Amino acid sequence: MTNPTAQIEVDALDCVIEHKPILSGVSFRTDEARLGVIGRNGSGKSTLARLMAGLITPSAGSVRVAGVDVARDRKAALGAVGILFQNPDHQIIFPTVAEELAFGLRQQGRAKDVADAEVRTTLDGFGKAHWYDASIQTLSQGQRQLVCLMAILAMRPQVLILDEPFAGLDIPTRMQLSRYLGRSQAVLVHVTHDPQDLAGYDRVLWLDQGQLRHDGPAADVLERFTQEMTRIGGGDDISDLAG
Amino acid sequence: MISLTSPVKTRAHDWPAGAKLAALCVVTVVLFRVQDIWVHLAVLAGIGGIYALPGRVFLLTGLRRLRMLWPFLALIVVWHGLTGTPVQGAVIALRLVSAVAFANLVTMTTRLDDMIAVVRWLASPLRRFGVKTQALELAIALVIRFTPVLIDKGTTLTQAWRARSGRTPGWRIILPFTILAMDDADHVADALRARGGLQNVMES
Repeated sequence: MTNPTAQIEVDALDCVIEHKPILSGVSFRTDEARLGVIGRNGSGKSTLARLMAGLITPSAGSVRVAGVDVARDRKAALGAVGILFQNPDHQIIFPTVAEELAFGLRQQGRAKDVADAEVRTTLDGFGKAHWYDASIQTLSQGQRQLVCLMAILAMRPQVLILDEPFAGLDIPTRMQLSRYLGRSQAVLVHVTHDPQDLAGYDRVLWLDQGQLRHDGPAADVLERFTQEMTRIGGGDDISDLAG
Repeated sequence: MISLTSPVKTRAHDWPAGAKLAALCVVTVVLFRVQDIWVHLAVLAGIGGIYALPGRVFLLTGLRRLRMLWPFLALIVVWHGLTGTPVQGAVIALRLVSAVAFANLVTMTTRLDDMIAVVRWLASPLRRFGVKTQALELAIALVIRFTPVLIDKGTTLTQAWRARSGRTPGWRIILPFTILAMDDADHVADALRARGGLQNVMES
């Protein structure tokens, strides 16, 4: 379906944050175009997303995306992997759409006019040429999330990591954003707690307490996950305190 | 809102940012030199005319952004009323309105990245001595972008306090606000790093 060179190799990954083990012994290798990572709150999935994007350095083990050691070689990582966060206000730095899209391209070393041309191509590709001068202040939450998505895809990463990008958005907005994501040429790694987000994905990894619990075809893993979540939901493990 | 963007595209958007900033410098210096109230009135009328040129929407947005000046104007009027120097007070008030209105005009018609390019050009002698000015350029963008975001956060915290208390929160929200801001800063740092952060120098 997409780029055959884009692959993620995670090997014996450990991540300890402030003496607390968040991930331990996570290994997988994937060539799938659409990979889901599912787990409960606090299962370590967001940490895994940050590790795969190279934003944090693993305590042990390694993460390579499209052959790049993303935590150490940041320059090469920019073309290998992009990440979309839950809150668009955490990403958007500039007051207008065009400036926001140009930022990452300039970081990749493009000259100003080249970056501007690519911004226009990206906006055109999304049918959003009329957003060029739009002020971020006037955009809705869903529109801001789309700006973030376009800003990242403009940089042409081979892999796009999605860290719960639909949380807090209404159903029509989710559906529309999903459609834009679906058209992406990049390999998608979607991190979420909601099985509905992963319908139609190729493969799903289930993270539980920092370890890989299941890894397999999406339909199979999602069904087990949903059963288990419903079972836990019937109990009262919300009472349990950590430590 | 601190980030001033124009609701409509004007011809001035295409003028070079450096020229607009230089013009702003000249106008401000002249405003501070001139003491004649009639000249000040004429200047203000002229600036009003410029605001009206791109149309009603632009004019109204521009006027709304001057509203924050009224406490300062009130102070000047009261002071000069008390000291019996109304003409002097009027000159100062007019000067203040004209200077801010003209500065807003430049901000509203200039893209932030063009503005930053000017700062970058001005800071180029520093780079010769090995100072990395990219942080300065990015800091300008971050301040402009996140001031309204932080104001929103403060408002939400104040509301959360009011929802459970009859008293006004005052200084008590400072600590939670700081923690919220630091948490936000962590997220923003992540997002910046994901798109190259400060390690690649933008060369053009």
